[in-house]
Amino acid sequence: MGKVIVVTSGKGGVGKTTSTANLGTALALLGKSVVLIDADVGLRNLDIVMGLESRVVYTSMDVIEKQCELNKALVRDRRVDGLMLLAASQKNNKDDMQPEQMKAICDKLRTTYDFTLVDSPAGIERGFRNASAGADEAIVVTTPDVSAIRDADRIIGLLQNVEVEPINLVINRFSPQLVGNGSMMDQADVLDILNIDLIGVVPEDSGVITSTNRGIPLVYEDGSPGAQAYMRIARRLTGQRIPIPDLEQKGLLSSIVNWFTKKK
Amino acid sequence: MNLSIKQLFGRKPKSSNIAKQRLKLVITQDRVDVDDRFMTRLHHELAEVLAKYFEFSANSVKMNLKQEGNSYILVADFPYTKFHDMSMRR
Ligand SMILES: Nc1ncnc2c1ncn2[C@@H]1O[C@H](COP(=O)(O)OP(=O)(O)OP(=O)(O)O)[C@@H](O)[C@H]1O
Ligand SMILES: [Mg+2]
Repeated sequence: MGKVIVVTSGKGGVGKTTSTANLGTALALLGKSVVLIDADVGLRNLDIVMGLESRVVYTSMDVIEKQCELNKALVRDRRVDGLMLLAASQKNNKDDMQPEQMKAICDKLRTTYDFTLVDSPAGIERGFRNASAGADEAIVVTTPDVSAIRDADRIIGLLQNVEVEPINLVINRFSPQLVGNGSMMDQADVLDILNIDLIGVVPEDSGVITSTNRGIPLVYEDGSPGAQAYMRIARRLTGQRIPIPDLEQKGLLSSIVNWFTKKK
Repeated sequence: MNLSIKQLFGRKPKSSNIAKQRLKLVITQDRVDVDDRFMTRLHHELAEVLAKYFEFSANSVKMNLKQEGNSYILVADFPYTKFHDMSMRR
């Protein structure tokens, strides 16, 4: 039996779709069978971020309306074995889908695939409820800024109410330099506020933008810091115990500064 | 560099620390607000069910969510004046 994991956030634009695409590809590269579901009905993106937009024929809406079998609606990613995409309908909106319908799709996929990752739209409304309806677990993505963290806390509360467990945190767009000079909260600060388990920290990486331009997930670029971060998170999702490295930039000066400021 | 020296002498607090303090406050308040709405709903629904079995005055009811460590405890006081006789209602 596989796992269904919803990737969600509260605030928009923090990296849910990027994380879904990269974690899904990374899990497939590790030999797992994976389906990615775009649950952002009406504002679909996962297909283009994955570079699969030209091959989408059917969407989850066609499956729900019984225009097509679930298996036939899955687009196979030819770059790696065992990776599929279920696209969202662009011409419908979030209210055209019921949470139970999404749950039924997830329940079917769980029996065949090791991982089903559901890319949730931002917010706490219907789109989020649809996306999380079939989920066993959640990944909450946040950036280390006040609005994203505040909204993440709200989403975490909602997930806890419906007993989605565990809820793992990804801190995205982390800047070691900014943390080093005291203008960005570090991972300990974020965890102290949100009080859930951290599964990984993804640095700010311009490779995310260029790889998205090309439709080739960043994890294919072995050397990039973002790719390495996503590969480590994927390994943790498969149950491997891998320490989370401290990305904070510790120059001599900032170490001294930290030492002084910590004493106060 | 400029900023680091200021930090070193403790004149200007790091903006990340300010962010953290502000967030802690606002999130505590957010959680209370959410709990409030939740408690009001729970109160109404519990009262509706209990009213079938007991007579009680709505303003004597007390409901509280207490936090102990990582878990919450719901404490509800519904002091009742009378037990409805269920056999009569059938
Ligand atoms: N680690 C990163 N480094 C640099 N840029 C990033 C990083 N993560 C995400 N981005 C950029 O941030 C933007 C938003 O990312 P993405 O679309 O994944 O967010 P989202 O949470 O899915 O947004 P929405 O709420 O609209 O669905 C994109 O332009 C993406 O390239
Ligand atoms: Mg998105």
